[in-house]
Parts: sequence; structure tokens; C-alpha cells
Amino acid sequence: MKLSTLRQYLTRKRLRLIGLALLLLLAGFTLYLDFRVRDAFEGRRFALPARLYARPLELFPGLKLTPDALIQELARLDYKEPLTGDEPGRFARHGNSFEIVARPFVFWDGAQPARKLRLDFRGDSLSGVHNLKSDQPLTLARLDPLYIGGIYPAHNEDRLLVRLEEVPEQLVQALIAIEDRKFYKHHGIHLRGMARAAVALATGRGVQGGSTLTQQLVKNFFLSPERTLRRKATEILMALLVELHYDKRDILETYLNEIYLGQDGNRAIHGIGLASQFYFGKPLKELTLPESALLVGMVKGPGYYDPRRHPERARERRDLVLAEMAKLEMLLPAQLAAARSAPLDVVEKPTMGTTPYPAFLDLVRRQLRRDYDEDDLRSEGLHIFTTLDPVAQTSAEQALAKRLAQIERARKGVTGLEGAVVVTNVQNGEVQAVVGGRDAHFEGFNRALDAHRPVGSLLKPVTYLSALMHPDRYTLATLLDDSPLVWKERGIPDWKPENYDKTFHGQVPLRLALAHSYNVASARLGLELGLNEVLDNARRLGVERELPPYAASLLGAVELAPLEVTQMYQTLASGGFRVPLRAIREVLTAGGQPVQRYALAVEQVFEAAPVYLLTSALQDVVGEGTAVGLKEFLPPSLKLAGKTGTTDELRDSWFAGFSGDRLAVVWVGYDDNRPAGLTGAAGAMLVWGELMRKLDPEPLAPPLPEDVERVWIDPASGLRADRDCAGAIELPFVHGSAPEESAPCASSPVKKFKGWFRRLFE
Amino acid sequence: MSKLSIHSAWFVLLLLLSACTVLRPETPPASENPAVLGLLEQARTEAAENKLQSAVATIERAQRLEPRNPWLWQELARLHLALGDHTQAESLAARSNTWAGSDRALRAANWRLIGAARAARGDAAGAQAAEARAVELER
Repeated sequence: MKLSTLRQYLTRKRLRLIGLALLLLLAGFTLYLDFRVRDAFEGRRFALPARLYARPLELFPGLKLTPDALIQELARLDYKEPLTGDEPGRFARHGNSFEIVARPFVFWDGAQPARKLRLDFRGDSLSGVHNLKSDQPLTLARLDPLYIGGIYPAHNEDRLLVRLEEVPEQLVQALIAIEDRKFYKHHGIHLRGMARAAVALATGRGVQGGSTLTQQLVKNFFLSPERTLRRKATEILMALLVELHYDKRDILETYLNEIYLGQDGNRAIHGIGLASQFYFGKPLKELTLPESALLVGMVKGPGYYDPRRHPERARERRDLVLAEMAKLEMLLPAQLAAARSAPLDVVEKPTMGTTPYPAFLDLVRRQLRRDYDEDDLRSEGLHIFTTLDPVAQTSAEQALAKRLAQIERARKGVTGLEGAVVVTNVQNGEVQAVVGGRDAHFEGFNRALDAHRPVGSLLKPVTYLSALMHPDRYTLATLLDDSPLVWKERGIPDWKPENYDKTFHGQVPLRLALAHSYNVASARLGLELGLNEVLDNARRLGVERELPPYAASLLGAVELAPLEVTQMYQTLASGGFRVPLRAIREVLTAGGQPVQRYALAVEQVFEAAPVYLLTSALQDVVGEGTAVGLKEFLPPSLKLAGKTGTTDELRDSWFAGFSGDRLAVVWVGYDDNRPAGLTGAAGAMLVWGELMRKLDPEPLAPPLPEDVERVWIDPASGLRADRDCAGAIELPFVHGSAPEESAPCASSPVKKFKGWFRRLFE
Repeated sequence: MSKLSIHSAWFVLLLLLSACTVLRPETPPASENPAVLGLLEQARTEAAENKLQSAVATIERAQRLEPRNPWLWQELARLHLALGDHTQAESLAARSNTWAGSDRALRAANWRLIGAARAARGDAAGAQAAEARAVELER
């Protein structure tokens, strides 16, 4: 072989090798892109935040609900007047009668279709519910629940996944008309459009236009916004790969869920489902033609065509989309004219941030974290049905803000007070409201969960409960010693508790020692019982935190968060049954399949009798004790139970109390722990009263336990009396524990008979 | 399955049956609220189809309308017993008792449920004591 031939051969071989290497490289790159495309396409299609809902409103004849309250609920749910045929999400009012087209919704127990209802009111309650379609009376109907927020990925994207079937046909048509007319025909790229773009590049006008929907999707998925030839090449390759793997419907559906359509603070609005909520406050299915056209028009530049900031531009763009549709004969001239004359109809800016109820969501998130992986919460699109009661939540937020402002106005130098509120259902432990601070929408420090503050007298009921568990030793009428006390314990300074009014009260009936929150009598009682017994009962009530084993703990030198206090009082409010507080009812998959239920759980941790007696004493706190001021808010006939709490130097102001249906705990003070100058009654109790008044509480009437009887007592001596004795009161006693000795006024049986005889004629 | 648990399973079944027979005939309606009655009926259907979790959810829904109704607490106890959650069943029956007032038949049924729950847990003495309470209430 000649040398030159050899050289030629080698060169050819080298070239071939280089070519092969390049081909391999390209194939490798394509494979790599292919992997990325499929991975991202599958993964991103389902990267959805968990969606949280408030409790749904249950409607049934006899429900205590005013027409105004219904209107407020409908407003929260964004129902609009008037009715337009069977369009869901609309209502009409005729005096005391409403017609509502309830939206369809998938609940834990299955899908509920849209329903046209008539609701009739009589006075302050709902008197009838009718299904208008079948003209049948209904025993129960449910409105769709309020969406209260999502659990978002770290980069704060939100999304509301929609299926292609749910997308209005005209919206798809509009998109095709304005963005990619050949969408159904091309293979991912549009050669003529690209040729135009190439010419533009060659003539130095940069890379532009010519993108198919597929290319736009790929760009949205993977690529940085830079405009280079290499990026364009990658985009084309990826678009071809997407078209190879997925059909047009998949691509379109993913596109519609992925497309970026605006910004809400730090939250990016992706997908037409969420955009429909964000701009029009309604589900996608309810979008009209001009609304669809407006959304589609914004694809080109959501900031530039923002209908809130640039309504004129947005309108021109919308009309252009409509005109393009008419050109393609997707619209009749009459439709075009009607759509062009429609107003933009964009809703006022929706709730700020990611949720209007950050403190409540915080609690939900913490409870979910026990059972779910944080990533799943952010990506699986779970539907989470919470226990939030928007009425209780709003009332609590307003009561706190209003009363703190009032207190600051009334007291010179008091500014920057903070507070927290928790409201629960007394029977089932559902958390109805959580307010984490005065500015309830601030997503910061959640005082209801994280402000651990000394609870002061809020802990006293534990001592009294411990005492009442020994009916042989203590009853509500037992006289306690409220004289000076010095407690010596090795290693710590002598403890000399004092009363708030700096005086000692001598012999005081047990129930009044609690009602007036006497420190000395309470401390002595606790020491008699033994610190261990009292602290052990605090644990049984539901306090999980380790309590310091010092005598001062008896008077509340114990730091708890409002939520922990709530758990403790929940056990008292539900008759000695510990009911774990729950913020979640059910979890469903994105497709509406049940995943998990958080069932009601109860555990009897105290006998009914001592809790009943203690509740009676807590009713005396409100009736004649430190919380007597509540009568300014609520009638005494409700027999509410409660306890004030005040700490050293008036740093913390607490109130915990319950009615027949709700328990609420309020804390007021300063974040930096300086004295607020407020007792429990001067601060937190006012917030509580304001809140409960708004919620129209049910009277508190705990069932009389089998082993408890009511006996007339002469309060001065603590001895048995009858109802004719001046000032006699009727108190509950465990059978056999009531005093046997009679007070002088009740001694003779003749007198008793006379009294009975007289009552006969009264 | 051990002999003891077979034994207690039978005992539970018997007690459940007896609780049912005590309850069904000539008892007053469990509620005056048709919405609650409708949900109770729905829960019974669900339980009959062995959808016990759904039935629990339905009763809890009814309970939000009538939180103090002892029949609903009792129905929950019965469902939890069927689900094998004996501790919960006992607590729920006890809670039902606190709202049962002077309704002796209802309370007797609750004690039978408590007895069944205890038996299922292997607490024979406790079960007997509960049964004795039930008998006493039925006298």
C-alpha cells in the first residue's frame, strides 16, 4: 500500500470515527433529553400542592341560621346573584326564601352533583330545604366547602389541576386560534414558523416567535429564558420527543395546567384552573367566552396584559383573540359582538398570600406532618377537609383586633398588645378557629401554638378537681383556710403566696375560693393534696409538657401555649373525657378517593362527678366571681363556665371558658414579656365575651351524673339548709358527701313543712 | 386464633346481638331531627355493606348536628367494637351513658357494649361487672 493511500485511508477512518463519535454523542444527548422529558412530564403533571377546605355548611330544617348569616356564607363561597338558569354558584333571594344552585363537589362520602335548592327561613332558623328539580323536600343538604389554602412547594407555585374534559371548549379553541393554529397537525414544531424565525435571526433581529404549544410547554418545563441558537435547538429536539411520547390531548392538558398566568405576591399562578379562581373567582367550568378569551390572551405576557393593572391592554388583547376566533369561524358574528361588549369582570384582588387563615393552616400542617411526608403534601394534590369554621374564625379575629384596640385607646401608654385565640367544639374536639396574633393574616409567629407563657390561675381548676375527687374530704361547701401561708422547701427560698387584693379572707367556701381565685387558699389546698397528685391530674387532663415540681406550679408558674391550655380545658368541658383536638377530618387523593380519616376519639380520664362539681364552681366564676363582668356580653342564664388567669406583674392576661357548644381560650400580653397591666378580666375576658356574643352560644347544662344530688346549703356555715333559709343556695354533692348537720334556719321539720305548704300556694 | 380469642369473639357477637335486640323494637326515635335520622339510616346501610369506616364518618356527621345525642354516641361505640377498637368502643359507650339521662334501656345497651368491649380485650371480670349493670338497669 502506498503511503498516501494509507494516509487517505487513515484520514477517512479518522473522519468516520469522529462522525461516529459525534453521532453517538448526539444519540446520547437525545437519550438524555428523552429521559428528562419523560421524567419531567410525568413528574410535573402531578406536582400539586395539597388543597385545604373549611367545614362545609350543613343545611337542614331547624338549623339555627339567619338569612344574613347565609348571605355571608354565600359571599365567602363566592356565590353570585342573580340566578342564570342552572349555572352553579349562583343564588337569588326573595324575602325569607332563597334559591341556590349549589356547586358540585367531591366529599369523603362521594361526589355530590350540582343541585338547585330552595331554602326557606322562619325567624332565625331554616324552616325548609327543597330540591327544586324534583320538587322534593330534603332533610339535609351540604354546600361546597370554602377553599382555605394549599401546602405549597418551597418555590411557592400554586396550581389547580384540571382535566381536559373540564376545560370549556371555547377556551381551547381560543388558545389554538391565537397561539398555534396547526397544533393538531404538526409534530411538535412548525417548520414555516421556524423558517421565519431563522430569517429573523439571520437578518440580525434575534431569535423570535414561531413556537408551537409543544415548544412553549417544553420551554416552560426546562429552559431558561435566554434566546440562543443552542437553546432553540434543544427546544426543538425536546418538542419532537414530547410529541413522540404523548398524544395531543396529553400535551394540551399539561400545557393548560402548566402555563404561567400571573403573580400573586410571592405566589406564581400556574395553569388555567388556578388562573380562573385568581382572576374571576370561580371554577374553570363556569368561565364565559370573553373570560376564556381574556385568559388565553394573557398567555403572551401575563404582566403586560394584567387585567387588574392594565385593563385597556388586556381588553384589546382579548378582543384580538375573539377576532381571530371569528376569522376561523369558531364564533358567529353575534357571539363575537356579545363577547366584545362584555366587561372584563375581573374580581377584586383575592385574599393576600397563600391563605387568609395562616395560623389555622399552621396547625393543620403540623397535624398532617405526623402522618405524611412533607414532599407528598406538596406534590400529591391531596384534598384535605379541615374543621375550620369560618364564622368562628372570623368572629375570633375581629373580637381580638377590636378589643385590643379598645383597651389601647382606654389606657394611656399601652400600645402593641398582642393576643391569641383558639376555639373548639366542646363535644368532639374539632378546632374551629385559631388566631395567631392581632394581625390574623400575618404568616409569622403563631402565638396560639408557639407562645409559651405562664398560665397563672388557669391552672387552679386542676387543684380543685383533685380535691373534689375526694368527696369524703372536700365538697363545694368545704371551708378552706385563706390565712397567711409560708411554705418551706429545701433548696429554694420560702414561698409566701399572696392574694391579688393583698388581703387574706379567712374561712372561704371551696367554690368561692376558686370563683374569686384566692391564691393562698388554693395553694394551701394544693399542698394538702400533694403536689404530685395535682400535677399528675394536670397530665391526665392533657398537659403533655413536663411541669416543674415546685409549689409555685400550683399557682400557674407553668408556661403553656394557648393550644395546650385548650386541650386541658377540653377535658373539663367534655365531662372528664379527654378528646384530642383535631383540625382535620378527612384526606382524599387528587382524584377524590378517600385516603385517611381522623376519627373522633375519646378516653374517660376522670369520673363524671368531680368534673361536674368543678364545672359548677367554674360557673360560679362567671356568676359571681372574677368573670362576673361577662354579663356585659352574655346573659347569666347561659350559665357559662370560665376561669380568668393573671400572672406576676400583670404580664399575661388569660381567659378560658366554655358554653354548651364551644370552648375558647384567649391570651393577651406583650411578645417581649413586659407587664401589660391587664388582669385576665381586664384583657382576655373582654375578647372572649365579644367573641362568644357573636357566636350566640348554647347554654351550658352538663348532665347530672348518677351519683350526684343537689342539696340546699347555708353558705355562711356551710351546713345543710332548705330553700327558705335566707341566702340559701343549691349545690351539687356526690351522694353521701353533703353536710348532715343542719344550719339553724333549717332545723325544725315543722318549719320545713310550713315552707312546703307556703310554696304550694305561691 | 387462640381459644381465648375465639371464645371472646363469640361473646362479643352474642352481646352485640343482645344489644341489638334490646335496642330495635319499641324504642323511641333516636332523634327528632329528620336529618339525623336520615344519616343514622345511611350509616346502618353502610355498616350492613361492611363499609364500617364510612358508617363512622356518617355518624360523626350526624353528631355535628346533634352533639349530645346519646344514640349517636352509642352507634359510634358499636361501630368501633365491630372495627376491633375495643378501648374506643368502651369509652364511647361510657360517653353515651353520660347523655342517656333516665333512659334505662339505652344505658343497659351501653353497658352491654362496654361488657362486649371488655370481653374482647380479655377482661372477663370487667365484662361480667358490666353485664351485671345492664341486668340491673333492665329490672
